Amino acid sequence: MANLVGAGGSGQPVAIDAGVLGPLARAQYGAMFRLRWEMFRSGLRSIHGILDLGATGIAWMIYAFFGLLFGTGMGIGTYALVSDAQWRYLPILFWVLCFLWQMIPVMLASYQEQFDLGILLRFPVHFGSYYFLYLVFGLLDVSTVLGAVCCLGMWIGVAVARPALLPWITLALAVFAAFNILLVRAIFAWIERWLRQRKTREILGAVFMILVLSAQLMNPAIYQKRHSGRSHSQQQAQQFEAAKERYKPYLKQANAVQKWLPPGLAAQALRQSVEQNPAAGFVSLGVLGLYGVLVGGILAARLKSEYRGESLSVAPGRAKSATGSRTATGAGVSGKETQDRGAARMLGGSGPIAAVIEKDVRALVRTLPLLYAIGAPLLLVLVFSTVFLKNGATQAPVFPLALPICMVYAQLGFTQVFFNNLGTEGAGIQVYFLSPTPIRTVLLAKNLLHSLLFAVVAMVAGVLAALRLGIPDSAVIAATAAWLVFSLPCNLAAGNIFSLKMPYRVNPGRIARQRGSQANAFLSLLVQLGVLAIGASVFALCWFLERMWLAVPIFLLLAVGAVFVWRRVLDNSDAIANERRDALMATLMKES
Amino acid sequence: MENAAIQTHGLTRRFGALTAVEDVTLSVASGQFFGFLGPNGAGKSTTIKMLTGLLEPSAGSVEILGRPFGASALDLKRQIGVVPEGMALMGRLTATEYLHFVGRMYGLDRHTTNQRTQELLEFMQLADENKKLVTDFSHGMQKKLALAAAVIHGPKVLFLDEPFEGVDAIAAGMLKTMLTGMINRGATIFLTTHVLEIVERLCSHVAIISQGKLVANGSLEDLRAGVASTLPGVEQEQRLTLEEIFLAIVGAGGQQEQAQELTWLT
Repeated sequence: MANLVGAGGSGQPVAIDAGVLGPLARAQYGAMFRLRWEMFRSGLRSIHGILDLGATGIAWMIYAFFGLLFGTGMGIGTYALVSDAQWRYLPILFWVLCFLWQMIPVMLASYQEQFDLGILLRFPVHFGSYYFLYLVFGLLDVSTVLGAVCCLGMWIGVAVARPALLPWITLALAVFAAFNILLVRAIFAWIERWLRQRKTREILGAVFMILVLSAQLMNPAIYQKRHSGRSHSQQQAQQFEAAKERYKPYLKQANAVQKWLPPGLAAQALRQSVEQNPAAGFVSLGVLGLYGVLVGGILAARLKSEYRGESLSVAPGRAKSATGSRTATGAGVSGKETQDRGAARMLGGSGPIAAVIEKDVRALVRTLPLLYAIGAPLLLVLVFSTVFLKNGATQAPVFPLALPICMVYAQLGFTQVFFNNLGTEGAGIQVYFLSPTPIRTVLLAKNLLHSLLFAVVAMVAGVLAALRLGIPDSAVIAATAAWLVFSLPCNLAAGNIFSLKMPYRVNPGRIARQRGSQANAFLSLLVQLGVLAIGASVFALCWFLERMWLAVPIFLLLAVGAVFVWRRVLDNSDAIANERRDALMATLMKES
Repeated sequence: MENAAIQTHGLTRRFGALTAVEDVTLSVASGQFFGFLGPNGAGKSTTIKMLTGLLEPSAGSVEILGRPFGASALDLKRQIGVVPEGMALMGRLTATEYLHFVGRMYGLDRHTTNQRTQELLEFMQLADENKKLVTDFSHGMQKKLALAAAVIHGPKVLFLDEPFEGVDAIAAGMLKTMLTGMINRGATIFLTTHVLEIVERLCSHVAIISQGKLVANGSLEDLRAGVASTLPGVEQEQRLTLEEIFLAIVGAGGQQEQAQELTWLT
């Protein structure tokens, strides 16, 4: 902002109260755009920045594909409805557009990096300028770009179907787009407010994850219905007709209400213009404009709080204990502390191994993304077990190797835990190097905990699979267990090496995708595929020989070798850690 | 120096073409409160990292309590406490949980860890914040917790990298009392800070590093006398403040003159 002083020409600052389009405001807009441009250019100085740009480019190509898809769909839909004069269905398109426009940023909220305009507040920025910049930076959001493409599609659809309606569709879409831009920014302003607090950010992330999981679980449900036979389909059609009749009055009421909501008003304005009732059309657009003003006001109220210096980056303090501070001698130990100590005792002695396990358990239960990574495969085991079931033919035999496949999937959830086991330590990694505890002990503790967790998850996955598919042959159960005994030390050994040699920072408070080591991701995938390939080969051989029991001694023999390698890696871990100490700390302490 | 708690010889650290610390040789006697000063980017934190085993020197040697890092590294680490630059905190734990963890990593038994945790949290006025995660602590609270973690095992040598940054005046007073108490009981403290008044009050010896090189080292009185003799118009008996000594040694006089030229500043 140093250039602003010179904006007046004589070294004197320009007038502050010149308004949103005054010389000061214009200089500030210029400075902001220059700042963003320079930030972009500076980002390209590093390989990471170039990779980021590449990733952003790919993401935008995907968005562009969806934009073209939606835009074309909207255009064709509008064309079909307008050319057939199906005006009563036109609001559906506006509702779809509105839904897309508002839902996309909500869904992408925890995945996008936000530019904090709060940095402007220490400068003499007019509130109008602050508001204006907030809107302008929002114009480059994915939702607004997609929304604009959809609007263009609708505009073309009307232009081709009824060119006479061009002025009206242009006006209606312009007001509707302005309303949506204001609404999406208002929604986003509130989401940003919530995202600034760790807990609400995690809750939002949890809601999003539940939505994703729900979407994944819908597939088997639909799959089951799709294969339920012809007679069932006829029954469904009858039920649908009956439901339609039952809900008709409610639908009529809903239609009457939606007419007075923004998408309905935009569609209504178009219809009224066709019905030679331009005054009513203008009224509809006027009401739509009022909605825009209302939403703009809500946005202004939110931004005004920020403008006045509201800071939500620090979590509100908790009410202090009314009992006052406790005595230093600790004569009275609270019930909570007793409980904590009891829980700690259950984890073993007081040595460093128990300390690391206890610390990791506490951190894990507070780290939603890792819990999700571990737990989500269990739900998907349910999904896959449904796929293995033959619907409508319950007597048919289930795929006999479904259990090991479910186990493989359960193990995939541990990829990040096994192969980047120091990733969540952050600045805490220094404790391991400062304390007299060898890194071997730290890794051993982590391996023990992760093995225990994996055993629990594998058991739950096995029970789920058995409940869904029936208990498999005892030889398959034994072979699967033996394969796990082999694969676990393989993954732990490779995971320890990768964790020390190519770690990446995992910010446990963030739901957004982490910037990971590409090499780690690629090589851990190769290791897992290798272990899988060995397992699959042994299973296939024994299956072919019709001696599934033979797999057990083979896997156990391999497991002996794997355990030997794992122990060797542990024994060498201090040497590797010391050799990689600087890079390890620099990587893990870096803020993502 | 006999009975040196910290001794370095030709300590050097290079990062590619940049030499962050060059040929630093110093000795800190046992029981000394030692201030290590320098402008931003002078190499203070890099030096502390090398002294505490967090960073491998490119050249030179370090001895703590008469022993080099290496074979005896684990044993040495039991004797030292560190508040490093990044504070080494674990955000997803509460303060109590974190101190329990650190205590046990230093090999304290559970009972001692619990007792010291309670006492330190009370002392640092963090006992009432027991339900908050460390990540939700203010910067000053995090500093206090990092200091508590550095002393929980009763180290003989304590390395403090900017321990007073962001700490309120009351807590700073308490910390100073605590550190002085440690010195009285025979501990050695190696302190870096930009708050020169604190160094002047607490430290008996001071070293100054500038652009990676040690430019001054000695007792405060020695430095005072040395600087007074080089400055024109300063009498030997005139008592220079540490700030004046520091500015004279690192050569910031020109910047003061430049500041005078910013006449448009009101």
